[in-house]
Amino acid sequence: MPRSSTRPGGSDLLTSAELTLLGRLDLAYRRPQSGLYAGERRSPRSARSPEFSDFRPYVAGDDFRQIDWGAYARLEKLMLRLYVAEEEACLNVVLDPSASMALGEPAKWPAARRLTAALSFLGLAAMDRVQVGALGGGRVPPLRGRDGVSRVWTFLEALEPAGTAGPDDLRRLHWLRPGVTVVISDFLAEDASWAQPLAAVASRRQEPVLWQVLAPDEEHPTISGDLKLVDHETGRARELTITPGLVGDYLRALAAHRAALARAAQAAGGRFLTSNSAEDLEAMMVAGLRAGVVRRG
Amino acid sequence: MEFLRPLAALALLTIPAIVLLYFLKVRRPEVRVSSLLFWRPYVADRQANAPWQRLRPSMLLLLQLLAALVLAIGLMRPGLIGAAGVDSTTVVMIDASPTMEATDVNPSRFGAAVDRARSLAGQLAPGQQMAVILLGDHATLLAAPTGDPALLRAALDRAQPSGSAGDFAEGISLANSILLGRPGGSIIMFSDGHSQAPTSPPRVGAPFTYVSVGSTGENAAIQTMSRSGNGSVFLRLANYGRNARDLKVEMRADGRLVDVLPVKLEGNTTSDVTWNRLSTSTQVLEAKLTPDDALGLDDTAWLVIAEPPHHPVLLVTSENGFLQQALKLRQGLDVTTVKPADYKPGKYDLVIFDGFVPPGKLPEPALLINPTVGLGPAPVGPQIDPGGVQPADVRDPLLRDVSLKDVHVQSAASLKVPTGWRTVISAAAGPLLLVREGDPRDALLTFDLHHSDLPLRAAFPILVNNLLDYLLPGGFENQVFTPGQSVTLIAEPGARYADVTGPDGRSSRLTPPFPPFAGTDLPGVYLVRQQLASGSRLSRFVVQLQDPALSRISPGAAPLIQAADRPSGVLPRGTLEVWPWLAAAALLALVAEWFVFLRGR
Repeated sequence: MPRSSTRPGGSDLLTSAELTLLGRLDLAYRRPQSGLYAGERRSPRSARSPEFSDFRPYVAGDDFRQIDWGAYARLEKLMLRLYVAEEEACLNVVLDPSASMALGEPAKWPAARRLTAALSFLGLAAMDRVQVGALGGGRVPPLRGRDGVSRVWTFLEALEPAGTAGPDDLRRLHWLRPGVTVVISDFLAEDASWAQPLAAVASRRQEPVLWQVLAPDEEHPTISGDLKLVDHETGRARELTITPGLVGDYLRALAAHRAALARAAQAAGGRFLTSNSAEDLEAMMVAGLRAGVVRRG
Repeated sequence: MEFLRPLAALALLTIPAIVLLYFLKVRRPEVRVSSLLFWRPYVADRQANAPWQRLRPSMLLLLQLLAALVLAIGLMRPGLIGAAGVDSTTVVMIDASPTMEATDVNPSRFGAAVDRARSLAGQLAPGQQMAVILLGDHATLLAAPTGDPALLRAALDRAQPSGSAGDFAEGISLANSILLGRPGGSIIMFSDGHSQAPTSPPRVGAPFTYVSVGSTGENAAIQTMSRSGNGSVFLRLANYGRNARDLKVEMRADGRLVDVLPVKLEGNTTSDVTWNRLSTSTQVLEAKLTPDDALGLDDTAWLVIAEPPHHPVLLVTSENGFLQQALKLRQGLDVTTVKPADYKPGKYDLVIFDGFVPPGKLPEPALLINPTVGLGPAPVGPQIDPGGVQPADVRDPLLRDVSLKDVHVQSAASLKVPTGWRTVISAAAGPLLLVREGDPRDALLTFDLHHSDLPLRAAFPILVNNLLDYLLPGGFENQVFTPGQSVTLIAEPGARYADVTGPDGRSSRLTPPFPPFAGTDLPGVYLVRQQLASGSRLSRFVVQLQDPALSRISPGAAPLIQAADRPSGVLPRGTLEVWPWLAAAALLALVAEWFVFLRGR
């Protein structure tokens, strides 16, 4: 979908066309959500609500107000009507603001920030409790409803990629609430294992979603010849002769790295999906639909 | 095994240079990346980035060293002695006769012949050699036997057509000497069949191949242009082709077009044209046939109208009507005739002593006829019967157009040829006509003209004219020479130098003793400016092709030859050069190196 130049509230993050697109989508939670307040998400608890869930035989102690007298007339058995409880869900969106996110052609940072804004918008539009923060950095307090959109976007626009960030920073994020935790990053930190931090996230009743954003030239390198490669975050350098063989090795290593991330996410009951910075928001949402993170509203 | 170019061993220095490059650290451009996580260095990269480390085995290095080594050896041109087939030497003879300038084939017959020779040079196989001979007035060896196509091409680039018919006999003689001791040779001649036919078929020491160049005989020419005493200009036009032609003759006076004469010429005919509109102020008259035909050399004729100053000539004779008549035919002479008794030295450009030699020093130059016994610069002896008359050298310019057939001499003075003199006409018993070369110029006729039938022959006035050309200062003035012919510039006494300016505007300076001027390749009018103490003297001469034999351009037959016996015995085998295989091996090594580089190992 072509990106319109009209951006609400003077924001650079999402255009009105993209917001229209997001209006037709919703976040997909795998598990019923159990929150403090009533909301629009299925709760594991049964309660009175407009939405019928099931029948079950009456046992002593049950609330007889829930006996379905119609069923008793037909079956001559006391049956209780069960209803779905709808409670608020909690969405945590964690954006990686490390310096490496500024690289790539096109750069990864605008794409990752736009994706963060889009997921936050979906959560806020569905009256979920949304928390947005930076990996190893600040955050906005929990927000609910569309009123929080401008605060989220103000926070995102103030962020600039700098420094380093890694799995240990995820482990140190204590503000994360039970729910879905989406980590948006290039996941290119060296000497880092994401398995343990993700296990810790899962242990706090959070479903981790790892959303990797890479630039096209990181997915398929186009450089060649005798080069000195410098790590943008750490400043470490490595002198190489880039040959087609070496690029082949790079692609194999990238595939292995993605497979390891996917395994770590699955082990923590989560999901792993990828996008590249050349894609527009619609393509990213299609990736989300395919991975089951987003659904049609 | 031998190396034909051992100096190329210097190329082996590339091997330590390559090794040195492996020792040195590579300076690489910097590229910032998100992570080095997936960029894993190879061992070779780690080695390359460590300066001055111990050299470790590397397939890339080995292949590069192999390619450099093989290339260096290839440059040294190694050859396997005796491995090649029989050495063969091809002698290419290119006819440079003026007819080869005909443009009936593209770009010209001569150009096509040179192109074919160049093609032959490019097809030489290892062990084969080629030599190039150019057949002009003399046969010239353009390229000695070589197998290097570049040398041969450079020699062929220098080839130029000649102004006179190619000397076939001399060319064959030169080719035979080249092929002497070179079994397996051959001779190829590119010609249109207009080279000089030798008196007898020459003996050819190798297989001879004649390649005819040219396709047509259609050509028209101005055969003669002359001026009569009453100022009329006489032109003889000839059509040497089979087809009738409608031609126009453009008359130009000092470069300005003054008249156009239409002429229709049937095939193989001549036509005479008289033109009476010559202005007295004209210096040079030019006649040009249009439209152009295959041979442009004979389409233009020039006539120098401006007369040079007359030469005072003294004839000392009792009575010699033949001589006086012959002198009258020569324009530009003021002849004074005196009896021997009345002879007094004076200021003359030439003194002719007939049957008389004055005592003391003779004036210079002088022509002595039947001198007194024991007198003169070449004292003669008593009268003898000289026997048959023959030219000493048929190519002597003094005998140009002079036929000595049916010439008899009853008696002549005996004479031993003195040093510095050259015999022009000889007889069985001694010389009949001698000239002294250098400065001063003298000529001596050893017999009384009245004791010979020479004055009755057409050759006599021509011989006198040639002698006057030779003896008189400025004898070349207003004369017509053929292209390529050397012109002897007899300068005025006291001339310091002479500048000769050709039709192309290029000037050459001649200084005493004024060697013959040989730069007469271009047809046209040549201007001679002699610098005298009293000023300068301007005169002209003309170079143009007026030889009907050379205007008949239809391709002729191959010249007659005598095949010589083929050499016998075991033919020596040549050296097989192996550099092409080495070059291929080097290329293979480089391809393998590139493949290994692409594979990253």
